[in-house]
This record gives sequence, C-alpha cells and structure tokens, in this order.
Amino acid sequence: MNESLNENIVSSLQKSLPLLSSVIILLLAYIPLNVTFLNNIRPDLGLICVYFWVLHRPDLFSLVSIVVLGLLDMSVSSALPGAALFAYLTMYVLLYNTQRLFNAKPFVVIWYGFMALSLATILIKWLVVSIYYGRFLPISMLMFGYLIGVALYPLVSAVLAFVQNKFIQDEGL
Amino acid sequence: MKRRRSLFLHLNQLRLLAKKFALVILFLAALILMLLNKNHSLILEQTTGVATKMTAPVVSVLVVPAKLLSRVYDYFSELKRIKSDNRALRAENERLRILQDKYNALEIENKLLSNLLNYVPLPQAGFVSAKVVVEESNAFAHSMVAYVDNQRVEKGDVVLSDSGVIGRVDKVMDTYAKIILITDINSKIPVMVEDSRIRGVLSGDNTMMPKLVFIPLNAEINIGDRIVTSGVSGVFPAGLPVGQVVAVSKTEIKVKPFTSLEQIEYVKIVRYGLGGLINQREKTDE
Repeated sequence: MNESLNENIVSSLQKSLPLLSSVIILLLAYIPLNVTFLNNIRPDLGLICVYFWVLHRPDLFSLVSIVVLGLLDMSVSSALPGAALFAYLTMYVLLYNTQRLFNAKPFVVIWYGFMALSLATILIKWLVVSIYYGRFLPISMLMFGYLIGVALYPLVSAVLAFVQNKFIQDEGL
Repeated sequence: MKRRRSLFLHLNQLRLLAKKFALVILFLAALILMLLNKNHSLILEQTTGVATKMTAPVVSVLVVPAKLLSRVYDYFSELKRIKSDNRALRAENERLRILQDKYNALEIENKLLSNLLNYVPLPQAGFVSAKVVVEESNAFAHSMVAYVDNQRVEKGDVVLSDSGVIGRVDKVMDTYAKIILITDINSKIPVMVEDSRIRGVLSGDNTMMPKLVFIPLNAEINIGDRIVTSGVSGVFPAGLPVGQVVAVSKTEIKVKPFTSLEQIEYVKIVRYGLGGLINQREKTDE
C-alpha cells in the first residue's frame, strides 16, 4: 500500500518536472543582475522551455502547463497581461504543425528550428502588443533579446535535457 | 475487432477536436486578458497581485547564487576605483560643506519669508527604503518588484534612487510593490525644463531613453537641459530631478534618466500624500 503510494508520488513528481523546471528557468530571467548590457536585453527563457518540452516531451507538457507558465509570467512581469500566454500558445501551435521537421534530428537542426519559430513568435507578439498600444515597440531591443535567447538555447536546453535524462523515466520502457 | 478500431478512431478524432477547440479558447482568453487591462480591471489586478506575492520570494531566493558571483566580480573591479574615488569624494565633501552653510542660511530665510506670506507648505514626505527583488527590462516592459515588508506604500507613490525619479508604484501586495519605471511604455510624467520652466510630459517607450512630448511648438529645448518634475496632476511633487536632454530632433526629444535604471539595488519609495489623478481615477472606478 505504502509502496504504491510512494510510487504514485514519485511518478507525479516526475510528470510535473517539465513544468517545475520551466517555472524556475522562467523566474531566472527576472533576477536583478546589475549588469547594464544584459539587463536591457533579457531573453524570453519561457519560450525556450516551451519549445524544448513540447518538442521532446509533449506528453508531459500539455496546454495546461503552457497556461500555467503564461499566467506565471503575467504575474511577475509588467508587460501587457496575456501577451506572454499568447506568445507561448503561438509557439505551441507553430511547433505542433512543424514538429515532424525537427523530431529525431541533430541538435543543430533543432536549434535552427528554435531560431525560426521563436523569431516568428516574438514578431507576432510584438505586432499584437504594438497594435494594443497603437505604436511600435522598440524593435532593436526585441532583436537583441531574441539573439541572446538563441545564443542561450544550447545552455538552457542542456539543463532541460539533463533534467529529462536524469529524473524523468519513460513509462513502459 | 473492426468496431473497436472504429471506436478508437472516433475517440482520437474527438480528442483532436477538443484540443483544437481548447487552443482557440485559450487564444481568446489571452486576447481578453489584454483587453481587460485596457479597462484597468480590479479582478485582474487582484489576481496578478496575489500571484506576484507568491512568485517574488522564489525569485529572491534564486537571486542568491547570482548575487554571490556578481559580488566577487564587483569586489575586484571596485578595488581599482577606490583610490581615485576617495580623492574625488574628499574634494566633493569640501564643496558640500560650503553648500550646506549656504543651504542652512537659505532655509532660515525661506522660513521667515513663508511666515510673512502665510504660505501653506506641502505635506511632509515619508519614505520607505526597499530592496529590488525582480527586474524586467525588455521590448515589452520596464519594471521592478521591491520588497517593502508591510510598510505603508500606496499605488502612485514616487520611487526615487539616489539621483532622481525612477518611477512610480503601480501595485502593492502586502510585502511587495510593483514599480513601473519611467522608461516603461505605460509611464507618463508631467515634467518641465528646469531653467526655462517649459512644461511637457515625459513618455516612456520601452527604450532606455524616454521621450519629451506635449511641449509647445516654439519651445527652445537644448541638449544638456535638465528635466525635473513639474508637479502638474499632483502625482509627483515639483522639482524632483528626472534626467537630461540628450537628443533633439524635429520629431522627438530624448531624455536620459539621471539614474542608471539597470543598476539599482535599493529604491526609496516616497509618500508625499498629494493624492493626484491616480487616486481620483480609482475613486471614480469604485
């Protein structure tokens, strides 16, 4: 009885690891750094998490996880409420329709995929938020943030891959 | 067997349909959230307030290792500067002593003249020093969250650094306060040019240098002019330093804040008790 309860707890913890790791990485982006250059071009680390988990473990990273991540971002950020959720959903839809191009492909292809999809996502988000405010938001900061995000992808995905390989067991294997 | 397979196919199709439906609903929800923000929805503010209260402590814990690394780096880089800083500070101290004498004399004179004119002074300001625990600066928003530890802070309070105005309190959640920086797209501060007293509005645009707008067409504004708060609208008291004009063109005037907004560890939240338009708007909302 106790063993099965323990197994259930461990299993549900493992299932929630993609979301938990994403939450921690998302919050890392809001740490005060006191570094002039980095502080102004913060990358959207949440987007990296969404891309990674939807691509590698769509079974453990459902729409619910995306909503939770989007709402969490909304609570910390002062950006337009709903904008982050909109971006994550856009990334989800884009990736859902192009997944077969990146599945079981070398890391470089997956990285290029992130470059393309995250660019499309942040441009759509930028457009929607710009329409809301009735003026264009600074594109230069957006692009710098995007480039930093692309540069950080290998590092963040390495951390997430470590979480996946070390702590998440495949059921039925 | 055939029937079971067709049932399985139906279930799969239904699941796909439900997923597509859920996606559409969620996209709509995201857009509704954006539109709710336009109406300054109370429910939205309260919900995000509670969520921020829960997430801010997590960020402040995550800060610890990052802070340790940056402290070590700062320690070594600051050692070099200490000697020259010390010399400069001694010279500044001498200058400030002379200024303090002048200030004391002027204060006495001001008090005497105020008494003569029966002048009603502005309410006394109270302040709270707060540590910055969350920072956000990108194309979509410029803000921070500060730990205020249940001290009396209200929406609309002025936020200062050691060199001038950096923003205003946007939301208060018991122990944390969300601060909108003057560079944020939602920030609009009534300001004036210190020397010429030309009034305008400093409008953030999510870049590091906000724009000066709503100034008279024939106004003469030059690079290097100091910008201070004008006190119009009653949110900010008049005369607080904000920044300096760094670019003047036909289409826009850019102002560089006196404070380097990305290197703030502590802020001073000041309550002038002026009320102003923010409180009036809230009363109307209620």
